[in-house]
Amino acid sequence: MKLSVAISALALLAAAPAGIAATVPEGTKLAANQSYTFWLLDAIKSMDPQINTDVEGSDILRNLFEGLYNEGPKGELVPGVATGFDLSDDKTVYTFHLRPEAKWSDGKPVTAQDFVYAWRRLADPKTASEYAWYMELMQVKNAAAITAGEKPVEELGVKAVDDHTLEVTIETPLPYFPQMLVHGSTFPVREDVIAKYGQDWTKPGNLVGNGAYVLSQHLLGERIEMDKAPTYWDAEHTVMTHLTALTINDKNAALTRYLAGELDRVEIPAGQYPRLAKEYPDQAKSTPYSCSYTYLVNLSDKGPEALKDVRVRKALSYAINRDVIVDNVLQGGQKPAYNWTHWATAGFKMPDIDYAHWTQKERTEKAKELLAEAGYGPDHPLKLTLNYNTSDDHKKIAIAVQQFWKPLGVALTLNNMEWKVHTDKMQNQDFDLARYAWCGDYNEASTYLDFFTSYSGHNNGKFLNADYDRIMKESKTATDPQPLYTEAEQILADQMPLLPIYHYAKVDMVKADIKGLPTENVMQTWYGKDLFRVAP
Amino acid sequence: MIVYILKRLAIAIPTLLLLIVLSFLLMHAAPGGPFTQERGLPPEVLANLNAKYGLDQPLWRQIVSYVWGIVSAFDFGPSFVYKDRSVNDIIAQGFPVTLTYGFLSFIVAVVVGVTLGTIAAVRHNTVIDYFAVGLSIGAQVLPNFVMAPILVLVFTLALHWLPGGGWRFNDPHFWVMPVIALSTSYMASIARIMRSSMLEVLTSNHIRTARAKGLSGLRIVLRHALKPALLPVISYLGPAFVAMITGSVIVDIYFSTGGIGKAFVDSALNRDYAVMMGITILVGALTILFNLVVDIIYGWIDPKIRY
Repeated sequence: MKLSVAISALALLAAAPAGIAATVPEGTKLAANQSYTFWLLDAIKSMDPQINTDVEGSDILRNLFEGLYNEGPKGELVPGVATGFDLSDDKTVYTFHLRPEAKWSDGKPVTAQDFVYAWRRLADPKTASEYAWYMELMQVKNAAAITAGEKPVEELGVKAVDDHTLEVTIETPLPYFPQMLVHGSTFPVREDVIAKYGQDWTKPGNLVGNGAYVLSQHLLGERIEMDKAPTYWDAEHTVMTHLTALTINDKNAALTRYLAGELDRVEIPAGQYPRLAKEYPDQAKSTPYSCSYTYLVNLSDKGPEALKDVRVRKALSYAINRDVIVDNVLQGGQKPAYNWTHWATAGFKMPDIDYAHWTQKERTEKAKELLAEAGYGPDHPLKLTLNYNTSDDHKKIAIAVQQFWKPLGVALTLNNMEWKVHTDKMQNQDFDLARYAWCGDYNEASTYLDFFTSYSGHNNGKFLNADYDRIMKESKTATDPQPLYTEAEQILADQMPLLPIYHYAKVDMVKADIKGLPTENVMQTWYGKDLFRVAP
Repeated sequence: MIVYILKRLAIAIPTLLLLIVLSFLLMHAAPGGPFTQERGLPPEVLANLNAKYGLDQPLWRQIVSYVWGIVSAFDFGPSFVYKDRSVNDIIAQGFPVTLTYGFLSFIVAVVVGVTLGTIAAVRHNTVIDYFAVGLSIGAQVLPNFVMAPILVLVFTLALHWLPGGGWRFNDPHFWVMPVIALSTSYMASIARIMRSSMLEVLTSNHIRTARAKGLSGLRIVLRHALKPALLPVISYLGPAFVAMITGSVIVDIYFSTGGIGKAFVDSALNRDYAVMMGITILVGALTILFNLVVDIIYGWIDPKIRY
């Protein structure tokens, strides 16, 4: 017997019976101009779903292409090209039913073969995608071996049963597998188009997508223009007719242009949120954003001896006054962090971390005590260096931390370096402490917690803990992994392989007449098709 | 003359080759590579990438095949970071932009700078001189990363006259602020060089002779003093012209022009070896070319110089 899964989002369909694009409340008067202009910090590196690696690139991809599922305003799954799926009893075979009315921008139907081609392309060593590991993370059968060149790409666990039925086989049950399908690297692409144009297939005029918009112009580092696609299956409910993305490399310049009316949404530079919130209460917004800011500790053989003492690591963490960093440096509604996983991650239950409840005075006292026990103090200072990549905010935070640690007898040297050098040193364990931030790939705690497993490719501080590995492995097959995640966080708090500092918030100015942007989705995933502009 | 030009062009080829090899080696010596990223890549993925872009080859072979690509097909290779684009694509989009605002800035800087410098010299130690000197020093000390945001605040936010950034070839409104921001400090330098050189020329023998003949002041300046006074300005203009038409990273960042000034700096930070090499060669070739142009103009202006 196959277990039929009706996804929770179907409830949403009741509210908007015919479609799931923009849900415009009844009686809303729409503006005549339905165009939306948003901001990009950098030039888009690629518009190829299987090549893109950036968050900003994904914002563009979600409008030009559509995967099996989309995210709704609260981060819940809503049907995209798939209308639903069946799951086998052993929870390793997903059968997706594709929407027959889904079309490419040249009018051809979107088929299961398009997905098969795209997924194989992602894993294929010939594509050399920097996101090839995502297929592996999704546990798609044979993905790892194919990327390593050990198996032919045809053996990937994905198959077109017929034009509108896609069958995916995964290695082990993965409770959050459907959640991972909203990621841009899983979007379908057209084999014939790529064969015809090669590297040039993403240029305006060549690009064939299945999203709600088509690419009309792309000037690298200047602008991207997208028009509503009449071929999109839910074009009827898509209100916004035009999207423009402007690249502005300076946040302050972007804010000025927003204030001059050239943009509908920009990020607020650090420290300016209180002023803007007072001046423009209807436009300045701070919402949780799934990224976590930390100082990584080097626990490898190359790291300093002192940091191998857990008392020292704890003392360093305790002595950081996170409230000062959040309230006086960042000032944008970020939250102090005493753990790794972002607090607003779906389903995540925060462990009871002792020092989170202490006052800063208590923490600092305890820190002094622990350091003294470990043999360090003002008379016998602990010398450490902190590496951070170039940014005003990182610098301000580093200086604050240096000051917090000074009274303890910690002499911290700040080492500012360019991003690539910083990353290179981190990946070669050439650091004492290193600034780091991680952003969730999907809305579930494992995207954070997998990081500190001994077998993770990202564990640059080389934290090795058998209990931690065991818990994380167990969580992959558990019916309810959440208690295990809480347990894993507890180990991190006890062992302190990282000094958590703050959880991100997305701090933006948004024009008051723009509606439909997510306010309760910690991933901040948005779709042009959900947006609309109300009449003044 | 022709022989001289041919000789210079012949020297340019080994010079460019040396430039290519040196930049190539320096770039590869910097820590990290185009695929170093926050989430360290699994070794097999990295190996696939290096194989695809030829980075698994020994360095000398990479240099040889790179140079061969340029010589045989004028192909500067694919961008390692902007993977949908070739280096030729990136330069073809960005260079016309910087060429436009750079060339306009050059005209503005030369016309205003030379005029200001000449007037200051002729009206030496008068209010006009002080004003001109003050203006050019002011323009020199106000860096363009300060001026750019001020221009936007005034012309975009307060007056609503000009767009705050972006680029359109068919709308001069988009050109105004980049040109002001880029030309100002060059204009100031030109004015100062022009003033001191003109002062020197005005005290020379042939000007005294002209005065003795009873020529009018204006005629002396335009006909007898301007040409020799321009010599030091022209030697400054060769490299300045190249620097201006290849864009300014500050202008590109503040006015989001999509020009190659920003692309150049990005390519270095991203370790986008191919793009960085492409723009380096472009700047290098232009520098060699315009130094030659300057030398030719020298010969035309100063009859004492013979090749």
